[in-house]
Amino acid sequence: MKGLRGLAVGAAALAVAVAGCGTSASNTGTAGSSGPKTLTVWLMDGSAPTTLTDALNKEFQDSNKDVTVKYEVQKWGGIQEKLTTALTSDTPPDVIELGNTQTPKFASEGTLLDLTGDASNLNGGEWLGGLKDSLTWEDKQYGLPFYASNRTVIYRTDLFEAAGITAPPTSNDEWLAAIEKLKTANAANPDFQALYLPGQSWYTLLSFIWDQGGDVAKKDGDKFVGSLDSAQAKAGVDFYKKLVDASGTKAPKDTDEAKPQQMEVFGTGNVAMMIGLPWELGGAVKANPDLEKKTSAFPIPSKTAGKSAPVFLGGSNLAIPAGSKNVDLAKSYLKLLSGKKYQDQLGAAGTVPGTSKDTASLASNPVGKALAASSANGKVTPATPKWAAVEAGQNPLKDMLTAYLTGAKSLDQATGDANTALTALLGG
Amino acid sequence: MTAVETTDAAVPVRTSSPAPRRAVAGGARRRRGSTFDRLLPYLLLAPAVIGILWLIGFPVVSVVVTSFRKLDLGELVRGQVVWVGLDNYAKVLSDPRFWEITLRTVVFTAVVVATSVVVGLVIALLMRQLSTPVRILLQVCMLLAWAMPIIASTTVYQWIFDQQYGILNKILVKLGFDYAGHSWFSTGTATLSVIGLLIVWQAIPFLAFSLYAGVIGVPADLYEAAGIDGATAWQTFRAVTWPELKPLLMMVTFLSLLWDFKVFTQIWVFKEGGPSGGSTTLPVLQYLEGISQSHFGVAAAVSVLMVVILTLLTVSYLRKLLQTQEGKL
Amino acid sequence: MNAKKVSANVVAVLVAAFFAFPTYWMVTTALKPKKDLLSSSFDLIPSSVTSGNFVTAWTKPGFLQSLGNSLLVSLSAVVAALVIGLLAALAMSRMRFRGRKGFVMLMLVAQMAPFEALLIPMFLMMRDLGLYQQLSSLILIYFAVTLPFCAWTLRGFVNGIPIELEEAAMVDGCGRWGAFRRVTLPLLGPGLVATSVFAFITAWNEFLFAKVMVRAEDKETLPVWLSGFQSAFGTDWGGAMAASALFTVPVLVFFLIVQRKMVTGVTAGAVKG
Repeated sequence: MKGLRGLAVGAAALAVAVAGCGTSASNTGTAGSSGPKTLTVWLMDGSAPTTLTDALNKEFQDSNKDVTVKYEVQKWGGIQEKLTTALTSDTPPDVIELGNTQTPKFASEGTLLDLTGDASNLNGGEWLGGLKDSLTWEDKQYGLPFYASNRTVIYRTDLFEAAGITAPPTSNDEWLAAIEKLKTANAANPDFQALYLPGQSWYTLLSFIWDQGGDVAKKDGDKFVGSLDSAQAKAGVDFYKKLVDASGTKAPKDTDEAKPQQMEVFGTGNVAMMIGLPWELGGAVKANPDLEKKTSAFPIPSKTAGKSAPVFLGGSNLAIPAGSKNVDLAKSYLKLLSGKKYQDQLGAAGTVPGTSKDTASLASNPVGKALAASSANGKVTPATPKWAAVEAGQNPLKDMLTAYLTGAKSLDQATGDANTALTALLGG
Repeated sequence: MTAVETTDAAVPVRTSSPAPRRAVAGGARRRRGSTFDRLLPYLLLAPAVIGILWLIGFPVVSVVVTSFRKLDLGELVRGQVVWVGLDNYAKVLSDPRFWEITLRTVVFTAVVVATSVVVGLVIALLMRQLSTPVRILLQVCMLLAWAMPIIASTTVYQWIFDQQYGILNKILVKLGFDYAGHSWFSTGTATLSVIGLLIVWQAIPFLAFSLYAGVIGVPADLYEAAGIDGATAWQTFRAVTWPELKPLLMMVTFLSLLWDFKVFTQIWVFKEGGPSGGSTTLPVLQYLEGISQSHFGVAAAVSVLMVVILTLLTVSYLRKLLQTQEGKL
Repeated sequence: MNAKKVSANVVAVLVAAFFAFPTYWMVTTALKPKKDLLSSSFDLIPSSVTSGNFVTAWTKPGFLQSLGNSLLVSLSAVVAALVIGLLAALAMSRMRFRGRKGFVMLMLVAQMAPFEALLIPMFLMMRDLGLYQQLSSLILIYFAVTLPFCAWTLRGFVNGIPIELEEAAMVDGCGRWGAFRRVTLPLLGPGLVATSVFAFITAWNEFLFAKVMVRAEDKETLPVWLSGFQSAFGTDWGGAMAASALFTVPVLVFFLIVQRKMVTGVTAGAVKG
C-alpha cells in the first residue's frame, strides 16, 4: 500500500524487457557452510524505529558469531522497479519488507520462500489475521506479518469541547451532527474545516463500503470481479459524498491525502478532524507542536450506533526471497524479530505488531487506543496478485470518487464505470 | 551550452568554404594514402561504435526479442523463456485504447514541440535586441529553469496549480477572476495542458540558447545588405535569418521530438495518466503494462511500437538529412 | 527604434520572470516555516523565513557522500563521452571513408532508443558483468546515454572550424597530431564545454537507473538521496525543496564557470564566418 505513495511521487520510468535471463546463476561465492557470512536485511524507510533495528541487529550479531548484518534502508521512490530487479539478481537480499497489498503478486510468482513449515517457529499462532491473509497464496504462507496500521478519526479535543461536543461520535449520525456543531462554533474562522477529507482518500472509502455491507470485489470462481455497482457499495460512496458536502471541506476533490499532505493541513490548526494514520498526527505535531496536547482519536464510526466501521488494515510483511543464499540465518533473524520483545517495541512505536496479539504497549496513548480498538475490525483488499496493479497506477476507485464528487458523473454511472475498469484490471 | 548548435547552423552558413576545403583535405590524404590513414577513421570511430552497439544496441535487441515472449514477474525471476509469437502485439493493437493513446501522444508531442521551438526561436531573436544586463538576466533565469531538478520542478508546478493553496488561483482571484477552488486537472486535456506547459518551460532554455547561438552566427554583412535594401524586420527574417537558421531549427526540432515523445516522469507524477486515463500517453501505457502489471513482454511490444511510430514521424527528416550528408560528401 | 528596444527589454524581463518563478517558489518554500507551507492567505512573498529546512537538508546523513558519488559518476561519464565522442566526431567531420553516412546515422538513431525501456535488459547486462551494485555500472550507462548526443554535436563543432587553419599548421611543419593539438583543440574548447553541460545535466539528474543499479546507501547518488525526503511518513516538502536548491548549486557553478567560455565560443564562431 505504501509502495504506491513512493511510486506516485518518485521520478520513475518504464521497465520492460529481457532476453535470456536468470539462467546464468553464477555463484558469487557468498554461500559456503563456514566462515564469515553477511545477512542482507532490507527494510523500508521509516517502517521500524532505528532504536528497534539497532538493538535487533546487535543482538543477532552477538548471538551469531561470524555473521554481519548488512542493514539496508530502502527509500520508497522507484521501489517497484527495485524490488523486481533485486529479486532477479544473483544476490538478492536475505530478508525483505513488502507492502501487504503488494505481497500476493510476489508470493504467487514464486519469488518468495515458502515459510508455511516455519510458522510455528515464528509465533505463527499470533499472526495478525488481515496480514496473514495477504501473504497466503494457495494455502501456503510466503512471509510473516511485520506490522500494521489503520485509519482512525484524529480530532482536536479543544475544538470539540468549545463546540459543546462531550463525547466522540459513535455513529454516522452523531458524526454528522458533530460536524454541524463544529461549523457553527467556528463560523468566524474563514479557514476552518470541520473535517478535512480529500476527494480520493480511497482507503477511507473502503471503510464506508464495508460498513454498508458491500465490498469492492468478490470472488467469482478463481477470479475476482468488481462489485462496486452493488447497492451497498453505492451507499458507501454516497456516504463519502455526504461527509464531503456536510463538512464543507476545502480539500481538493481530485487528489488523495498526500497531495497536499493532510497532516500539513491539519498542522495549520484550522482543521478539527482528519481521517488518518497515527504517523500523520505525528507529522502534524512536528509542524505545529501545540497540537500535541490537544489531539485525540476515535475509531471511524459505523452506520450502526455503538459500533465502529471496519477499517482497511495497511501494513507490511517480511519475506525471504526465493534466491536467498542464507535461508537459515534469515529464518533465525525473523524468529528473533517475531519475538515478544521486539513486537512490544513495534506497539510502543504506534503500530499494530504483526506477530503478537498483545497490544498493551500500543494502547498506552489515546491514538494508539483508538487504533487498537478498531484494528480488531480490520479488513484487507481482495487477496489476489492482480490487486497490486490497481494501486500501482490509475486506480479506478479514485477516478470514481472524483467523478461523483465533482458531479461529472451520476452515482450509477461513476460506480458502473469504475466497476468495469476494476474487473478488467483484476481479470487481466 | 550556447554554442552547441552554432556550428551546425554555421555549417551551411559557411557554404562558401566547405566544398573546396574538403576536396583539399581528401586530396592531401590521398597523397599520403598509407594503410594507417585508410584505417584511421575506423579506429577513431571504433570506441564510440562499440560503446553504442554494446550498451544500447544489445539492450534494444533484447527488448525486441522480449516483445515476442510472455514475460511476467515469475518468468523473469525464474529465467524462464516462453515464446508467444505475435500475441503481445495482437493484444496491444487490438485494444481500441491503444489507438486513442497513440493519437493523444502524437498530438501532445506535436503541440509541445511546436510551442517550445517557436517560443525558443522568438526568445533567441529577442535576445539580439536586448541591452546587455537584460540579456544576462534572461539567460541566468533560463539557466535556473534548466538546472532545476525534475523532482523539484514537477512538485513546484503541482503546488502552483493546486486547487486550494496554489499561488496561481490566488493571483487570479486577486486580479478579480473567479478562480477560487478552480481545478486545473479536471479533464485529461486540461491535465496535459499543464504538463505541457511544464515541459515547454523545461525545454525552452536549451532551444533558446542553441538558436541564439545560430542567430548571432548569421554573418552581419547579410543584415547590412538587407538594411540597405530597406527590408522590413519580417522581410529580413524571411530573407536572411530563416534560410540561415533552417538546418539548425530542423535539427533541434528533431531532437525535441525524440525527447518530448518519450516524456514520462512528469505525466506520471501529476495524475498517473488520469483522470480516468485521460492523460495517458504511450510511455505511461508502457509503464502501466510493465512495472504496474508486470507484463514485461507486452510492455516491450509497446516500446517497439513506440519506436516504430517515432521513426514514422521523423522519417522525412532523416531522409532529408541523409541527402544533405550526401550533398556534403 | 528606441521605443521598440524598450518594449523588447520589457518583454524580456517578463519572460525572465516566467522562467525564474518556479525557482523562486522552490527557494521561498524552503525558507518558509512548516506551518506556513499550506496557507490559504496570499503568500507570494513569504511573511516569515527560517533557515531550518536548509539545516535539515544539509545535515541529513549522506549528503556529502552522495554529492561525491554524483560528481564522480557524472564527471567520469561526461569525460568518457566527450573524449570518445570527439574521436568519432573528428572522423565523421574531417575524413572521407566508406560507410561514413552510416555512422552519422547511427549517432542519430541511437538517440531514438527508449532509454527507460532498457532498464531491465541493462540491469541484466550489468548483473552478468558483475557490475550490479557498483557505481561503475552507472558510469557506463550515463556514458552510453550521452555518447550519441556528444558525438553528434561535436561533429557540428568540428565542421565549424575551417580546415584551412589546420592545413596552415601542417604546412608550418606540425604533424596531423600537432595541428590538432595546437589549432583544432583550442578552437574546439567552447564546443567541448557546451556539450559537456548538456551531458552533465543529463547524468546529474538521472534517478531510475541510479536507484535500481545501486543498493547500498553509501553508493547513492544525489537524486536518490533527494528522494529520501519522501518516506512512509509522507514528504518533508520544506526539506525536499531546500535539498533541491542545494542540488541545483553545483550545476549553476558549472554554468557560471563555463558561461564566459561559451559566449566567446559563439562570438568566435560568428567572426569565423
